[in-house]
Amino acid sequence: MRHRLALQIGPVAFRIGSAWRSPLDALARLYAGYPAPADGLCDFTVRLEPERPWRRFLRPSVAIRGDYVLPDAAPLALAHGLLAAEMGMNLQMALGQRTWLLLHAATVEKDGRAIVMTGESGAGKSTLAALLGERGWRLMGDEFALLDLASGALLPFPRAISLKNGAIGVMEAEAAADRFGPRLAGTPKGDIRHLRPNAEAIARMGEGARPALILFPRFGSAAAVRGVGQAEAFMRLTQASTNYVALGRRGFDALANLVRGVPALAIDYPDTETAVGLIADFRRELAA
Amino acid sequence: MAGSRYIADPESAVTKVALDGLAVLFHEPSGMTHIVASPAPEILDALQQGPADAAELLRRLHARFDFEGDEAIHARLGELEAAGLVRRA
Amino acid sequence: MSGTDDSNAFVPSRRTVLVLGAAAASTVVTVRPALAQTAGSVLNCEIPVPGPHAGGSYIAPDGSLVAPGTPGAAPPLARPLRGEEVKTLLRSGASPAGVDPSAAQAYANYIRRLQAGMSGFTCYASLQMPR
Repeated sequence: MRHRLALQIGPVAFRIGSAWRSPLDALARLYAGYPAPADGLCDFTVRLEPERPWRRFLRPSVAIRGDYVLPDAAPLALAHGLLAAEMGMNLQMALGQRTWLLLHAATVEKDGRAIVMTGESGAGKSTLAALLGERGWRLMGDEFALLDLASGALLPFPRAISLKNGAIGVMEAEAAADRFGPRLAGTPKGDIRHLRPNAEAIARMGEGARPALILFPRFGSAAAVRGVGQAEAFMRLTQASTNYVALGRRGFDALANLVRGVPALAIDYPDTETAVGLIADFRRELAA
Repeated sequence: MAGSRYIADPESAVTKVALDGLAVLFHEPSGMTHIVASPAPEILDALQQGPADAAELLRRLHARFDFEGDEAIHARLGELEAAGLVRRA
Repeated sequence: MSGTDDSNAFVPSRRTVLVLGAAAASTVVTVRPALAQTAGSVLNCEIPVPGPHAGGSYIAPDGSLVAPGTPGAAPPLARPLRGEEVKTLLRSGASPAGVDPSAAQAYANYIRRLQAGMSGFTCYASLQMPR
């Protein structure tokens, strides 16, 4: 393709090709400081292509293609090309990842102990993870948690954090301006702004952690905490995984070991600061 | 009236993990995972003695457990059959 | 019952009460492949109502395709519905912006009837939440 960029994110290397230069320029700025893949070898390819050949110039419209594609995927406007690149990388992971059990979850780590936060879109995982990343926690990822099938460790996958609508303002007050991508207004997901993880998260992207707590956060109600049984946690995590079924017996063993070895809690929270406080409490109990 | 006889795969074909009162099963032949509650594991266990129709299965279960409402065995067998964990001979 | 983690000792060795359950109860839940939770991050999806194969057909209240202008049937939508709109429509019946509320049920039923191979099916499947 006309323009190319290669990115190493945790243990996964991406090659992104694009018919237009602007999305890759934005992507390169957003991922400033990330290493290039060793030997240039890449695990997945994303291609940003015109929906039809003439759509490269006329009302340019970006179709997300690559090693893996989904039918019925609608193209995005060129102004949202950065979002298309991010969704393309998510898509390759969701459909193609077979080395690790993939959980749709945000992960943060402190003192070697990792907290995995999973739930539906809109539950607030990304915002929580972003805020914790600025409050002394190492951000391991906001979109996908990678569970090692043999060791049960979690591996980092520190992509740029995708902040939506109200969360953008929250984080703009917390993180330096040069860590943000452009504000993308009117995308199919609303307003979006990407935030690059901090220097520590990038420097330690090769360093895994033991899972210590599974959290099911839900935004929008008065603060409440309840325990989640192992069987319920197992079931909910299978639904949070895009490759559980494909991994067969190894996925089963890894997930069963995870829920037997790690406690699970569901928390309701009215605002992000409350959740941050609850999580700090959990950490103290885990460390005790 | 003797009904169809049901067969379960041998224990070696199913990996079973107990999780707080329920069990998660990985069924090797199909690669599928099922989360099951009693009496599903007890039924699968009772079928390890060999194929059985509903009446024989109930006899095996009554030998080990106290329970009522025998008719529900048909619904339980239906669920297990739909999941591919038992099949008819 | 869950005193130990010994996975082979699930069946108790002493005589105990077994609950056979009610006819309508569910004691076996099968794990299905899931894309729904991740769909928002990977798929900018749309469902045209009806799909291009429909050739201008209208949509009856039960979601089936009928001749254009059939009384009581809803006209094709001018724009495809976005994934989020479809989710809201199917969950709460709330009609998306610019869509005639009295026709919303017809459109919802059309979407529910989508089969593999029809335009919009993958989008619909990706929105499914587990029971």
